[in-house]
Amino acid sequence: MNIRNSMVALLACVFATSILASSGLEGQQAPDFALKSSSGENLRLSEYRGDVVMINFWATWCGPCRQEMPLLDELYARYQRVGFNLLGVNIDDDSRRAMKMIDELGVSFPVLFDSRKEVSELYEVEAMPVTVLIDREGNVRHVHHGYKPGYEQKYLDQIRSLLRE
Amino acid sequence: MTKTLISLAAIAMLLFSISVVAQEDIAPLNADTAMADAMSVQAAKSESRERFRSLDQDVQTLKKEVLDLNRDLFLLEEELLFPANSQVAFFVSMDVGEYFELDSINIKIDGKEVANYLYTARETDALIRGGVHRVHMANLKTGDHELIAVFTGKGPHVRDYRRGATLNFEKGIGAKYLELEITDRVKKQQPEFVIKEWE
Repeated sequence: MNIRNSMVALLACVFATSILASSGLEGQQAPDFALKSSSGENLRLSEYRGDVVMINFWATWCGPCRQEMPLLDELYARYQRVGFNLLGVNIDDDSRRAMKMIDELGVSFPVLFDSRKEVSELYEVEAMPVTVLIDREGNVRHVHHGYKPGYEQKYLDQIRSLLRE
Repeated sequence: MTKTLISLAAIAMLLFSISVVAQEDIAPLNADTAMADAMSVQAAKSESRERFRSLDQDVQTLKKEVLDLNRDLFLLEEELLFPANSQVAFFVSMDVGEYFELDSINIKIDGKEVANYLYTARETDALIRGGVHRVHMANLKTGDHELIAVFTGKGPHVRDYRRGATLNFEKGIGAKYLELEITDRVKKQQPEFVIKEWE
């Protein structure tokens, strides 16, 4: 009986951990938003329906973001012509700092400014960076919290498989 | 059990007799058989085509049903969330748009911000082409209310432009529709922002 109880407890624990680990957004329709971009234009996510979209939430004070962004830019440059779009969402209060960092890093993908933090709330962003992959139908398919060297390979595989769908 | 066995035996006998008859026919009627084969292949083809067509029709019907269901759900949700008696809807329209390039609209009701909508180039284009955009929908109590709409964008000579418009309106029983209209005032070469109540 004791063994059974402990097994149930263990299962419950594993279940709870798996719920915590997986994002609540995966498999759901990506919440729509519109934000001002670094080029001055307003960009709306739903206007990219039909393309695979990656949203990368970043901030100037986040070290891993600085590492990750040039790698994401490479992916963007490579797959943009086959229906892949990348939207960087900066959550700094002051967009000037973000613009400075974009210039320093020389990235070419559109960067949007979420100074009111409304979009990061919509996407339950609790760590930096957060990378969200959205399929052609507008559904959230993968959510990555944080960045470690090697993640770009994971992104590459996922982008390629979403583009093939 | 015995009944099933008997019926199985009968079917086997029947099949056997058919095959015997068929074998007898083979030698003298080779051309006829080929013709019959070709006809049966054609019949099978047309049957499969027919089946495919009916399947396609089924899919189309199903799609239509899904769309209808989606529309009904949407309407039902609206009716439940915004009952006609307390419903207030705000629409944005644009006429010409020569002197104003719309960027965003901020709406406050009774001093409280209820909507802040950013327009993309495509959306502005749709407005200029005659589209009307429902920017916000809310529930309001009957009585007097104040609406403040702030329009941001590029004005004449591509300068940053920000203008507000205010309307005091009375919400009675029944739904209320308000239109935020952006027009060009040619005489002054300036945009004009008007809030209208739909009767």
